[in-house]
Amino acid sequence: MERIKNWVTENPDLSFAILLAVSVYTFFAITEPLFFTHRTGFAIMERFAVLGLVGLALTLCIIAGEIDLSIGSNAALAAVITVRFTDSLGAVNALLIALAISTIIGIIQGYFIAYLRIRAIVLTVGTLMLLRGVALFAAEEKTVMLTDFRIPDFISTKMLGYFSPASLLVIAMFIIVGLFMTYTRYGREIYAIGGARKEALASGISLKRPMIIVFAISGFCAGLGGVIIGLRSGTAQALGLQYLLLAGTVAAFIGGVSILGGKGGVIGAAIGTLTVNFLNTGLVFNVTPAFMVQLYLGVLLLVVIMFQTGSRVFENRQQRSQILNDVDQRRNIWADKISGIRRSSG
Amino acid sequence: MTDVTAPTDDLKFVQRIRRDYSPLVIAMVGLFVVIFVAGAVFTDDFLTWFNIKTIIRDAALVGIMAIGLTFVTLSGNFFLLSMKEIAALSIICFATLMGADWNQWGAGEGDPTTSALVMTFSVAFLATMIIATIAGAAQGALIGLGGNPIVVTLGAAGLFFGIGSWWSDNLVVSYRRPHGAEWLGTGSFIGDIPNITVAFIIIAVVAELTLRYTTFGRQVYLVGANRAAGRATGHENFGMAIKCCIIASVCAAFVAVAFSGQVSSAHVNYFSSEFGSSGDMTIMVIAIVMVGGNSIMGGYGSTLRTSLGAIFISTVDNMMVLNGFNSGARVLAVGLMIVFSIIVFALVRRGSRAVE
Repeated sequence: MERIKNWVTENPDLSFAILLAVSVYTFFAITEPLFFTHRTGFAIMERFAVLGLVGLALTLCIIAGEIDLSIGSNAALAAVITVRFTDSLGAVNALLIALAISTIIGIIQGYFIAYLRIRAIVLTVGTLMLLRGVALFAAEEKTVMLTDFRIPDFISTKMLGYFSPASLLVIAMFIIVGLFMTYTRYGREIYAIGGARKEALASGISLKRPMIIVFAISGFCAGLGGVIIGLRSGTAQALGLQYLLLAGTVAAFIGGVSILGGKGGVIGAAIGTLTVNFLNTGLVFNVTPAFMVQLYLGVLLLVVIMFQTGSRVFENRQQRSQILNDVDQRRNIWADKISGIRRSSG
Repeated sequence: MTDVTAPTDDLKFVQRIRRDYSPLVIAMVGLFVVIFVAGAVFTDDFLTWFNIKTIIRDAALVGIMAIGLTFVTLSGNFFLLSMKEIAALSIICFATLMGADWNQWGAGEGDPTTSALVMTFSVAFLATMIIATIAGAAQGALIGLGGNPIVVTLGAAGLFFGIGSWWSDNLVVSYRRPHGAEWLGTGSFIGDIPNITVAFIIIAVVAELTLRYTTFGRQVYLVGANRAAGRATGHENFGMAIKCCIIASVCAAFVAVAFSGQVSSAHVNYFSSEFGSSGDMTIMVIAIVMVGGNSIMGGYGSTLRTSLGAIFISTVDNMMVLNGFNSGARVLAVGLMIVFSIIVFALVRRGSRAVE
């Protein structure tokens, strides 16, 4: 009990995320009789495969103090490429090509952000549009479709009860990235440039390597997400997948990242994504239209941001009042001393 | 007055340009001008009065939004990702009120009277503006308190879009002609120049004059260029963010009203894709602000640049349409232009100023 208490006080964000996830799940499990079933579990894991990737990518970006707005475009491009080339090259080859292209795009973005020393928002809002254009070009402004819808069935066969190859792959990805972030120097460099960039640069960390790694992982995750969506549905639209950015950001923020960077982790990303998934799936049971889901996600994000901003404002104010108090105390001490000296001399 | 400034005024035009701008920027502008002239010469029907009118009218709607957004960008608050969602909410509000039953103002049977039209329009217009003001103020307050503008407006975008869809049941809201917004949507008072073009020009001029010659305008630049200095001199970002976000959302609402006047209907998806030019409206607006050469970090730029950026993008788009390019190539071209100008401006800044 004592250890749990310690853990909670040490990780308030993570424990809040777990609490939120458990309460959302319990709420829907009680109100919807079908929610607490094997099939729904499988459906949630299937959604987790895509959203988790985007949540993971955005979590890494926000830990590094940046945000990747082009994630939806990158995913759409990967989906279009996969679906387009599956017929001629086979699903696996098309998938690998799409992943390679997405990762290379990420690497180029990271390189430019580090080399030009601009904020990632500025560059990625440009690449957002550029990649949409490339995707439209690749799809020839049509919705691309597979001719044989049986080809990509391998990606959603059921394994081990709750999982499919896609979701197992994503879970493996989470574990690898988690180990990478915690136990390697490169991972800690990412935390360093997010939490205290000036100090990190001053202590000799180059901006290029962590930035390129972050955006390469982000591009890879976006590409993998797009590939999974494209193969699963058998169709892809160049202008689709815009909702990924909002859902991924909500997941990342529920998972406890701070917009100032340097905080959060892969476990938080997983829990945040699961919360969003529970909410999504539960709302589908209530026959909620898609736009209402967007509304709830927007409100959720605003509430989390309000909490973060509020706590920051509160902390700042406390710090300031503490400093003022200190100053007052010192002044009083000095005033006492001075009056004491005057009295003794006079 | 002393003569200290006199010699600089005597500099020749070319010399002044070379002093004020870096060679990279001059090269980029030169490249754009070359493409522009080549396109103009080799495209049939490009240099006609009708086509020029079309270009400026195309630029008008996104341009007005971009002028509003420029205030936010100049004040150092990046940009609002919720521009099109504010417009979507506003257009639903406007069309619902225009089509409501209670607004006939005693018209009875037959065509409504002029005063009825005017009253309906004013009520709907005012209500839309009030909603836009509230939306802008709410976002501005959150941003001003220290919330990241991107994340706040991303959440607000989902919220506004959801409210708009919920209000209209995700259906098209339409209202009958004749209605009170026709003059703004399709009418023209001055010769054959559409009113929306005139509105664009007026808004551009007023915004530029505000930024240059009023206290508020100078404060926008101050807060954007140096937030610490702004705070030290009593110009907190809190009030500034609220004011700028209100300006941006009111501009978005105005565009929504004008567009609704054109098509006599409203739907939340009108601004989402394939609108006017190409791609997503919010991104298009941000693209205009960037291509115009405003500094995204704030403090440098003007609405004049934004207006020219709008006309430039609209011209390139028009040229590509006349040459038979599809939407993919057009989005690609605009995207290339943004990325190109971002890289050039970043390279210039990298050489000239200490990096934060």
